[in-house]
Amino acid sequence: MADTKQIDQIESPGPSRNRRIADAIKRNRARATVLGVLAVLFLAAMAGIEADQWFGTIMKALAAGSVIFLVASGFQLIFGLMDVLNLAHGELFMLGAYVGWTVYTRFDTFLDVLVPMLLVAAPFALLPLWRRLGARVAALARWARSAAWGLIVLGGGLMLLSITKFPLVIWNAEDFAKTPANYSVQIDLGTLVPLPEDVFGWPMAVAIVVLLAGASALALGLSSLRKHAGAVPPLGRWNLIGAAGLIVASVALHLVRGPLNDWVFGMSTTWRFFIALIVASLLGAGLGALIEVVLIRPLYDRPIYTLMVTLGVGFVIIETVKELWGSSNFTMARPAAFNGSGEGCPAEGIGGFFSGCSTLVVFGSRLRVYNEGFVVVIGILVLIGVSLLLKRTRIGMTIRAGVQDPEMVEALGINVRRVFTMVFALGAGLAAFGGVLAAPSIGLYTEMGALFLLTAIVALAIGGLTSFPGVAAGALLIGLLQQIIIRFGQTGIHIPFVAEPFKPSPTLVPAASIILMIVILLVLPAGLFGRGER
Amino acid sequence: MSLLDLHDVHTFIGKFHILEGVSVEVPQGSVVALLGRNGAGKTTTLKTILGLTPASSGRVVFDGDDIVEMRSFDIAAMGIGYVPEHRAIFADLSVEENLRIAERRKGDLERREELIFGLFPDLKRLIGLPGTSLSGGQQQMLAVARALVPENRLLLIDEPSEGLAPVLIEQMIEAIARLSDTTTVLLVEQNFLVASRLGTTYVIIEEGRSVKTGDMTDLVDDDETIQRYLGV
Repeated sequence: MADTKQIDQIESPGPSRNRRIADAIKRNRARATVLGVLAVLFLAAMAGIEADQWFGTIMKALAAGSVIFLVASGFQLIFGLMDVLNLAHGELFMLGAYVGWTVYTRFDTFLDVLVPMLLVAAPFALLPLWRRLGARVAALARWARSAAWGLIVLGGGLMLLSITKFPLVIWNAEDFAKTPANYSVQIDLGTLVPLPEDVFGWPMAVAIVVLLAGASALALGLSSLRKHAGAVPPLGRWNLIGAAGLIVASVALHLVRGPLNDWVFGMSTTWRFFIALIVASLLGAGLGALIEVVLIRPLYDRPIYTLMVTLGVGFVIIETVKELWGSSNFTMARPAAFNGSGEGCPAEGIGGFFSGCSTLVVFGSRLRVYNEGFVVVIGILVLIGVSLLLKRTRIGMTIRAGVQDPEMVEALGINVRRVFTMVFALGAGLAAFGGVLAAPSIGLYTEMGALFLLTAIVALAIGGLTSFPGVAAGALLIGLLQQIIIRFGQTGIHIPFVAEPFKPSPTLVPAASIILMIVILLVLPAGLFGRGER
Repeated sequence: MSLLDLHDVHTFIGKFHILEGVSVEVPQGSVVALLGRNGAGKTTTLKTILGLTPASSGRVVFDGDDIVEMRSFDIAAMGIGYVPEHRAIFADLSVEENLRIAERRKGDLERREELIFGLFPDLKRLIGLPGTSLSGGQQQMLAVARALVPENRLLLIDEPSEGLAPVLIEQMIEAIARLSDTTTVLLVEQNFLVASRLGTTYVIIEEGRSVKTGDMTDLVDDDETIQRYLGV
């Protein structure tokens, strides 16, 4: 059927082109109407707000939309490209914030955690070797499964045992959950006392060897669990270089950590903030890749299972964060460049930023440079960057093709699984990046992930699940709605025949966003910019 | 020596036994036509070569290497181009991107530009359009052109004439005939008139088994075989 239609088109292009244009108009009529109604509503709301508050309201809406967008963008990439609803996405956002906070405020602790982490990763770089040996273990038939589980338990035990033997600058979760306030004060004063090194008297070399042995046993055990290994790629030069590199990097970091810490703590907090952004994004991306390879990949045919697994991963992340960081909430100081105050602050006009003010008065509205300036700029940069990545680069091209027809992409000689892993890593990395970026303006709490993911999903549904720019539109709309409601909460709306003005409370925001979503979806089932029905 | 050699290949899709012993020999420089009725297992044979539906037993030897256990993308990267049954043009990609994605090394497209646009001059004009705005015939040309972007040693072409108007079929036959001067081709074709004009040898597949093979010139005169295996 489709073919005959296409042949029609070459023979008589005229009428069918007209028909296509007519179709496009009909399809877009509903969208144009909705956008028109939204514009009218927006103007009506603005008419109710004093003119000197316009700029502030719009910038605050952009700021709120920007944070929502940073959460929603990674989620949309993973869903739009791979059809996986990653319910752990909000928790990756939250974890990013906590990791970023740690790198930002306690770089020494981060470095001490990084040393054993790199050592654990080293044996996994030799995966082909473990899979080969694992096939031997699997050949033991009767013993295979218990042997594999034995190795996993043994490996896990050795790792737990040796990790506690690594020196760790103050990391007493219990203490610090009891008195988070004290902890913050101590950080500021720099009076935290490091735990004495080598508490249990293990020489560093022994701890390293035991940890490596444990991680190797774990890797071998996991490899032997796989039922049919298929073709195992040979152990290449890069595997060996990778493993050796990780071990060397780990030991080197341990040896230079003193001077390195001094150097980082001597930096301006602005630089430390950028380090935190990069480190948290990379860790988030790595964790995303790990989740995809280990948990999602075997379940692509079973979407409900991926839903359950990612939900579970989210809970695991929440509990792990509570355990490691204590269940307390933190605040993160704004980096120095955005935290200035002094004479003449808040300054008048945008130029005030350069005289070191953290708060400016622009067009009559008080704006914070970090919240309403930096976050918005970064949000726009991420939108442009990811769009360019998808549109203009070879990897983006491969992603777009792989989404539509993974089999054909494989048949062209491209490892499509690796592409999907990269998409997952990119989405998770964006989540973690967003977490660090948002932390100075919204603070850190373990529920922040679930809260923002929910808002992000509403924004996604409004903008259209299949469209990346649609995500930005949806996020902006939610941000506007939120700010307009807050603004009217202060001034009140005069309703005819009612004496008292109606003052919506900010708690109405979630309900209002959901009502907006329902109305838009009733008219445009694919959202504002979505294509087709899903 | 054969470029590609399938020996007693069995393939399951899910629990269905689709190929129950297929042996095909593709000599270097030949055009081998896989013939047979709908559902005989011709397309599955091509997919099994590429590892998209991996063989459960048997040997698939390409250029001296057994490729049965290899991963699809590694097999393809050895120099096998694939033109699938329904063209599989990437809808979100432009015509140029559809070609560009097949590059194995940067600049493949530029190196092969002359050959590709020599065979399909129409594509040059369409290069900036989105993949799906093409007509059926243009999509088919693009699918063949895509397989020509890297220097493949073997082309697997599935139903190139399907759904095309007679004029376009003629153009397609000409193009495949010209490219078969330099490349070995394994062709699946329902339309016997097309297959007989392109093929040097044939393999008939029936119910998942290769049942008859020989020179195409002999088959053309063998009405009985044609009636028995290919007649409706």
